[in-house]
Amino acid sequence: MKRRTILSGIAGAAVTAALPARAQQDAFGSKELIAAAEKEGGLTLYTADFAETQQEVIKEFNKRFPKIRVAMVRAPGGQLITRIKTEAAADKLGADVVNHSDRGLMLEIADLFQDYAPPNAGDYRADALVSPKLWPGVTLGWAIAYNTQLVKNAPKNWMDLTKPEYKDKQIGQVIGPSGGTTWTRIMFERQVLGEDYWKKQAALNIALYPSGAPLSDALVRGEVSIAPLLYNIIYTKIVEGAPAEAIFAPEGVPIVPYADGITKTSKNPNAARLFMNWRLSKEGQTFMINKLGNITSLKEPPAYPKGWDPKVIKVWVPKFDEFSKLRNSWMEEWNKTYGYRQ
Amino acid sequence: MTATSAAALPVTTEAVRAPRRWAAPLWVSALLIILTFLVIYPLLMLFFGAISDSNPVIDGFGKFNPSLTHFIAVLGNENVRLAFFNALVACGGGSLLAVVIGLAFSWIVVRTNTPFKGFIAGASMVPLFVPPLVAGVAWSILGSPKTGLLNTALKWTGIDFRFDFYSMSGLILVFGFYYAPYVYMFTASALRNMDPSLEEASEVAGASAFTTLFTVTFPLIAPAILAGSLLSFVVMLGIYGVPAALGAPANISVLTTYIFKLTAWAPPLYNTAAAVAILLMMVTAILVWAQQRVLSGRSFATVAGKAFRPRSLNLGPWRWLTFSLALVYLFVVVVLPTVALVIAAFRRFLFFKDFQAVFDMKAYSWVHFNSIFDNPLTITSIWNTMKVGVITAVIGGVLAFAIGYTINRTQVGGRKSIDLLSTIPVAIPGLVVGVAYLWAWIGLPGGLYGTIWILALAFVARFIPDTVKALSTSFMQIHKELEEAAWICGRGLLSTIATIMVPLARPGIVASMTLLFVLAVRELGSSLFLYTSDTTVMAVLLLDYYEGGNIGKTAAFSLVQTVIIGVLLGITYWLSRGSAESTARAG
Repeated sequence: MKRRTILSGIAGAAVTAALPARAQQDAFGSKELIAAAEKEGGLTLYTADFAETQQEVIKEFNKRFPKIRVAMVRAPGGQLITRIKTEAAADKLGADVVNHSDRGLMLEIADLFQDYAPPNAGDYRADALVSPKLWPGVTLGWAIAYNTQLVKNAPKNWMDLTKPEYKDKQIGQVIGPSGGTTWTRIMFERQVLGEDYWKKQAALNIALYPSGAPLSDALVRGEVSIAPLLYNIIYTKIVEGAPAEAIFAPEGVPIVPYADGITKTSKNPNAARLFMNWRLSKEGQTFMINKLGNITSLKEPPAYPKGWDPKVIKVWVPKFDEFSKLRNSWMEEWNKTYGYRQ
Repeated sequence: MTATSAAALPVTTEAVRAPRRWAAPLWVSALLIILTFLVIYPLLMLFFGAISDSNPVIDGFGKFNPSLTHFIAVLGNENVRLAFFNALVACGGGSLLAVVIGLAFSWIVVRTNTPFKGFIAGASMVPLFVPPLVAGVAWSILGSPKTGLLNTALKWTGIDFRFDFYSMSGLILVFGFYYAPYVYMFTASALRNMDPSLEEASEVAGASAFTTLFTVTFPLIAPAILAGSLLSFVVMLGIYGVPAALGAPANISVLTTYIFKLTAWAPPLYNTAAAVAILLMMVTAILVWAQQRVLSGRSFATVAGKAFRPRSLNLGPWRWLTFSLALVYLFVVVVLPTVALVIAAFRRFLFFKDFQAVFDMKAYSWVHFNSIFDNPLTITSIWNTMKVGVITAVIGGVLAFAIGYTINRTQVGGRKSIDLLSTIPVAIPGLVVGVAYLWAWIGLPGGLYGTIWILALAFVARFIPDTVKALSTSFMQIHKELEEAAWICGRGLLSTIATIMVPLARPGIVASMTLLFVLAVRELGSSLFLYTSDTTVMAVLLLDYYEGGNIGKTAAFSLVQTVIIGVLLGITYWLSRGSAESTARAG
C-alpha cells in the first residue's frame, strides 16, 4: 500500500513536472499573472491551520516560485474570524489570502472576498464549495488512530468503537463543540452509523479532549489507546516513527473542505491569485496528500493517502444546509449524551 | 513588638510641597490621561461588549443595543458557578501554599546562615519564568495517573502508591509550587530592607527567635506578604495553561478554561466571555478593597535614616535542615519538571513502555531543536520578544515608578483615582483583554497597529498593577524622614527622587522591571490579537506548537525560552545584588 502511495505521489509530481512550459503556465496562471505576482514579490496569508503545516506548503510553493515571499499570521479559528472582521471594519485587513476550516463562518464574511476561480475550477466537487469566492485549498479527512504498543486487537471500522472491549477511557474523543471539523464527524456518526451510535459509545466511558492535537499527543503517549483523529494530525507522527497507526473506515470518511479566498482589499492580488492557483492545482494538492496527510476535494484525486483503497473507501461530505441547521440542537444532545459540561 | 506598635514611629502626613502651584494638578492629570488611554478606554470596550451583542469596531457605537442577556445567562449557568467555585478553591489553596513556601524561602535566604543561599535564591526563582502552559505540560508528563513518569518509576520499584495530578489537589500543588516566587519576591525584598533593631529589641525583651519571627518579623512585612499572596491569587485566577493541562482530563473546569472555551468555539462568544471577565474583575476588586482595609492606618516603614545590615540568624546544625528543605523544594519544583521537559524535548516520542525505556538512548535526538530552528519564525519571534520585553520593562518601569511614587509618597488630590485605575487591569483575564485592546486601538491614527509598540503598550497596561504593587512595597518601607532630610538641605522634589528614592528603591525597581520583562515574554492572551506576521512573539509560537500536538517541539521551544530568560534574569539578579549591597552600605 505504501508503495502505491509513493508511486502515485511520484506520478502526480511527475505529471506537473513533465508538462510543457505552456501547460505549466496554464496550471498555475498566465505568463502575465506570474510576472505581475513576482513584481509584487509577496503576500500575507491568514490561516487557522497549524503554522507548521502551512510553513511546509509555503516552502513547497517557493520551490516553484522563489521570488514570492509568503508572510503568515496564524490564530485559532474563532479568534481568527474575530480578528479579520475587526481589521476589515477598521480598513486595516492585512490578509491577501485567508485559509479557514469553518465554511459556515467564512460564508458569513464572504463579502470581504473577491471573485476568484482557479484554472482547474471544474475539477472540484460541487459539494465541497459553499461560495464561488471560496475554495477548498485544504481538505482533511477523519481516520481511526491507535497506539500500536497498547492495542492488541485494533479496530477496523467505526462501529468497533462501540465495543465493550474498548471501555474505560481507552478511547479518546474530541468534544463536539470544538469546531466545524468535529461537528462534521459527529454529524456523520449520527446520520450514517445510526441514531444510537453516540449513546453506545458514550456508555464506554471515553476520555474527552478539547481538540485534536492534544488528543493525538495523548494517543502517542499512551494516555488513550484509540482515537478518531483527522488523518493529517497523526500522519506526520506516524511517518516520524511514533508508535501509532491509522486506518480509514469502510463505512465512510467524513471530509472537511476548507474555505479559502482572496480578500477584496488585497494589496498583492496577483501574488495571492498565483498562490491560490498553485495550492488548488494538482501539484499543490498532491504535495499536501503525500507530505501532510491531507485528502482532496478534487473529483479525481491525484494521489491517495496510505491505506486508502478507492474501491472500498467512500468520502462523506455533509449537506451544507444541514451542517448549519442541525448544529445547535444536535450539539446540545451530543453534550448531554457524553456528559460534557458546557 | 508588633506591626501596630511600629506605628509609633513618627509618620508625617504633611503633603509634599509642590515646586510650583500648577505642577501637581498637571502631573495628576497627565497620569490620569495615560491611565485612561491604557486602562479605561479598553475597559469601556469590554463593558460595551459585555452588555451588548455587537463588536464596537464593526458595528460602531450607533448600533449599541444594551442588554443584560449575557450577564443573566452567565449567572444562571450552573457550569459557570461550578467553574467559579473550582477557581476559588484551586487559587485559594494554591495561594496558601505559595505563602507558606515563599515566606519560608525568603526567610531561609535572607535571614539565616543556611549554606549556599545565593544558589538557593537563584534557583527558587526558576518556576517564575516557566510559562504556565509548560508547567502544566511538565506536570502532566510527571503526574498523569496513567502514563506519568513518577508513576512509571513507582511501578518499577513495586510500590503501590500512584500520583494523580489530574485532580484538584494536583492543581493546588502546581499553583502553589509555581506562584510561590511571587510571595518570595515581595517578602525577600521586605526582609532585606528591614531594620533588625526591632527584632533585636524583641529578643532583648526575652522573646525566643521563633516568637520574634511570628510576632515581629512576619507582621512587619505583612504588606509584602499580603501583596504577594494577593498578586499570586489573582495571577492564578487568570492562568489558563495549568488548569488546561491538568484540570481538563479530570473534567475540572475553572473560569479561564471556561472563557477559553467561549472564545474558541465557532462562532466565538466574546460578548459572553466579556461578561464572565467582568464577574472575575468584581472578585478581584473585593480582594483589593479587603487588602487596603487590612493595611489602612498602619505604617510599615522599616528603612530609616540609620545604618543597618540585615540580621542573619545562626541556626547552628539546624542550618542543614533548612538547606535540605530548600533542596527538596528545588528538586520538586525545578529539577523534576526540568528533567521531564528535557526528556520531552530530546525524545522523539514520549511513550514509555516501562521505566527502563526512559534510559534507551536511541530514543533521544536533537530532532525537535533542529525542527524549531528550521522554522524561520523561531528567530523572528525570539528577536521580537526581546524587543517587546525591553520596551515594556522600560516604559512600564518608568510609569510604575511615577504612579507608585504619586500614590505612596504624595498627598496630591486625585491619587486615589490613580491607585484605583492602576489596579483594575489585574482582574481582566488575558484571553479577553486581547480583544478589548484590539477593539480599542485598531482605529487609532498613526499606524500603531501592526507594530511592536502596540504589543508593548498592551503589556504595560496589562501589567501596571503587578509592577506598581511590587514597587509600592519598596516605597512603603522607605521612611519619610529621608526625603524630609533632603528637602531641609534644600533639594527639590525631582532631585530628592533622584538622590534618595531611586537609589533606596533600586532593588525594588530592578525586581519590578524584571518581573515586567518576564511577564511580557510569557504573555499570550493579548499578543494573539495584536501580533502580525512581522511581529510574532515567542508565546504565540509556543501556543502554536502546543496546539499542533507537538509536545517535543513545545518542550524544546520552552527550554530555549527558559534559557534566554534565565540568562537575562541572571544578569538582573547580579545587578540588583550589587545595588542591594551598595544600598545597605549607603544606608
